[in-house]
Formats: sequence, C-alpha cells, structure tokens
Amino acid sequence: MAVVPVKIEKDGKWVVSKIDIQKEGMTIAEPFSKNVPFKSVVDLEQKKNVLFITLKGEPPVVLKVASVEKVLQALKKFIIMSCSAYRLMAYFMSPAVRGGVMATNATWEKGAIAVLKTSIWFVSQNKQVSVPLSEVTGIELTKKEVTNKQADVVKIEHLEQGEVVVSYVLCPISTLQILMNFLADATKDMEMTGDELDPVSAQVGMLIYSGMDSHAIENMLSISHTELDKVYESLLELGLIEVVFVRKEVTLTPKGVRFITDSVKPPSQ
Amino acid sequence: MGKILIVDDTLFMRTLLKNILFSGGHDIVGEAGDGDEAIAKYKELKPDLVTMDVVMPKVNGIEALKGIKTFDPNAKVVMCTAVGQEQMVKLAIKTGAKGYIVKPFQAPKVLEEIKNVLGS
Repeated sequence: MAVVPVKIEKDGKWVVSKIDIQKEGMTIAEPFSKNVPFKSVVDLEQKKNVLFITLKGEPPVVLKVASVEKVLQALKKFIIMSCSAYRLMAYFMSPAVRGGVMATNATWEKGAIAVLKTSIWFVSQNKQVSVPLSEVTGIELTKKEVTNKQADVVKIEHLEQGEVVVSYVLCPISTLQILMNFLADATKDMEMTGDELDPVSAQVGMLIYSGMDSHAIENMLSISHTELDKVYESLLELGLIEVVFVRKEVTLTPKGVRFITDSVKPPSQ
Repeated sequence: MGKILIVDDTLFMRTLLKNILFSGGHDIVGEAGDGDEAIAKYKELKPDLVTMDVVMPKVNGIEALKGIKTFDPNAKVVMCTAVGQEQMVKLAIKTGAKGYIVKPFQAPKVLEEIKNVLGS
C-alpha cells in the first residue's frame, strides 16, 4: 500500500530502512527482511518520534521505529486498528478538562479505542491520543449530557506531562461496561485499600495537586514542618506521593555570621 | 494582571485560590463566602474578574452571577465547582460566565484560564 522511510534500532544503533505498510501487516526491508503481521503486535508506545512496537513471543520482541510524524501516524493507525487488543468503535472527547479547566472547544470525535498492554489509544480521522495505563489516575462510569440527553460515558482521568487530563468515551452501555471492567482490571494496582485520609492529610493532598510547595502548604494550613513531615510520611506509605527532592534548611555558623558582617562593611580607606 | 474577587464558602478553597492567583501576580481585592456577599462586594470593589464557587449556602453561584451581570453586563466571572455538572456549566455559560474551572485544579492551568478571560 505504501513504502515509508524509517530508522530501526539494531544492537543499539539506528539503521536506515524502509517499511512496506499493507492492510494486514508490514514488511521491513533489508537489512531486517522481516514480515510483521499486525495481529502479532501486543503493545504500542510512542516516545517523541520513536514507536515501540512489542511483538508476541517468549520473550516479546520490541521494535523501535523512528520516523517523521506523518509516517508514524500512518503506521500507528494501521497497527491500532489491527493489532491484538481489546478494541471498540466509539466516540471520544479528549481532553475535556485539563488541569481543572474545561476545554470549551472540546468535541466528540468518532473513532476507535484500543486497550493495549500498557496504554489506551484513541484514534479518529484527525487525532491519535495515547494514554499510558500507568498514568491513569481514575476511571468512572458516569453520565454526561450529549445533545441535550444524559448519556452513559466512561470518564478517564490521567496525567499528561504533569497535568491532570479528563477524557470521555461514549458508546452503548454494554460496551462501556466491558471497557470499564477492562480498565478497572488494568489499573487495579492503584485502588486505595485501608482507611480514608484524615482531613489535614486530604487538604495537604489537595494542595500538592494544585502545585503548592512545602513552604506554601505549611503557611496555608498553619502547621509546622514536623507536622507536615508526618503527613508526608503517611501519604508516602500509602503510595500517594513520591519524594521529588529534599531541601535543606540552614542557619549561619559563627564563621558565616562574621563573613556576612564583614562583607557589608564599607571598604577601608 | 488583574484585581480579583474570590467567592467560595470554604476558607480552604479561598486560601488556595488566593495563593495561586497571588503567585500569578494578581491583586486579590476581596473575598466573599456566599452569593449575597459576592454581589455586595462586586458593587463595592468593582474587580476585573470574579472566581465564583457554584454550590454555596443561601444564594448560590449561579444566582450571584445573575446578580452581578444585572449590575454590570461586562463583568468577567469564572465559575468554579467540585464536580463536572453539565447543567450548571450550560446554565453558567448561558448566564454569562466567561470560564469554568473544576475542583481539584492545578495552579498553572487556573492562571492560564484567568489570563485568557482577563484578556478577552
């Protein structure tokens, strides 16, 4: 159907080659000379301009393919539509909310949704959106108004470059339920077990979500750094936060005080 | 940068919004804990923008939005709510809200939205 230029990683080096994309699979030219049926693809990830295509096998083989976005888009579309994945035709809206701000120009797009091993892909005529399952922060079967009627939708919350993004999937309720169960199973490690957070910990969590640093949190909640450290410890234990860096609080030594005092003295004549 | 009135019935959310907006260089000219107080403060302070909680005791955010719009049809109000309530969003936009933020929110996006609305 189309022969496209690519670079494929081999033994740590990028090798120039070509891929002949067909309906059911792709043929990688020399020096690889490999035929890859799309059905053998079990996972697909994109990092910048590199596609990580995981093929069925023991152990699985990962092809790293680099090319220009136009080529990758074509390749992704064929792979997503034919690979080994849970796939459904649906409408999706992504992003509907970003960082708590509603996207006023968000619209429903008709396309396909594929749930792969490590990510969910939304594919429409004009858009390809990937949501890594490790970045999914919440899934919910809920209702949303669609053309003046309340419709069942699946709401997916996920992180995208540090921002919380909300997307919606719309399709018949029976299919939504299957999608919901599939996603719930794929993200079950993130479910909270045990007690709810106490009010202060919940407020600290909300402030972290909003982007406040430790100093701002202490000031806003009027708590000491030792109290905040205790909250952090409990949140760390629950796996709700991770340490980004440890900042030092310091005071001047007598030598430091002397140095600073001397430094502000006027120069001697 | 603008003069902003923050309306929310919880001190925690007002403090959070105040911190976020202050860090963006905005001037917080006042705070209100319900819709009635919001309308009164708007008339008194004439801010450039209002962040308005939707669910509040006594007079809710939508009613307060209507009151402010009656006083000043050019008022810039950004609605703020805890849940994505479709009806509320539609009603608020119909009533003249310029933007809508959903709790919990992230500081950079809130500042971006405020900047957009102030510039509109």
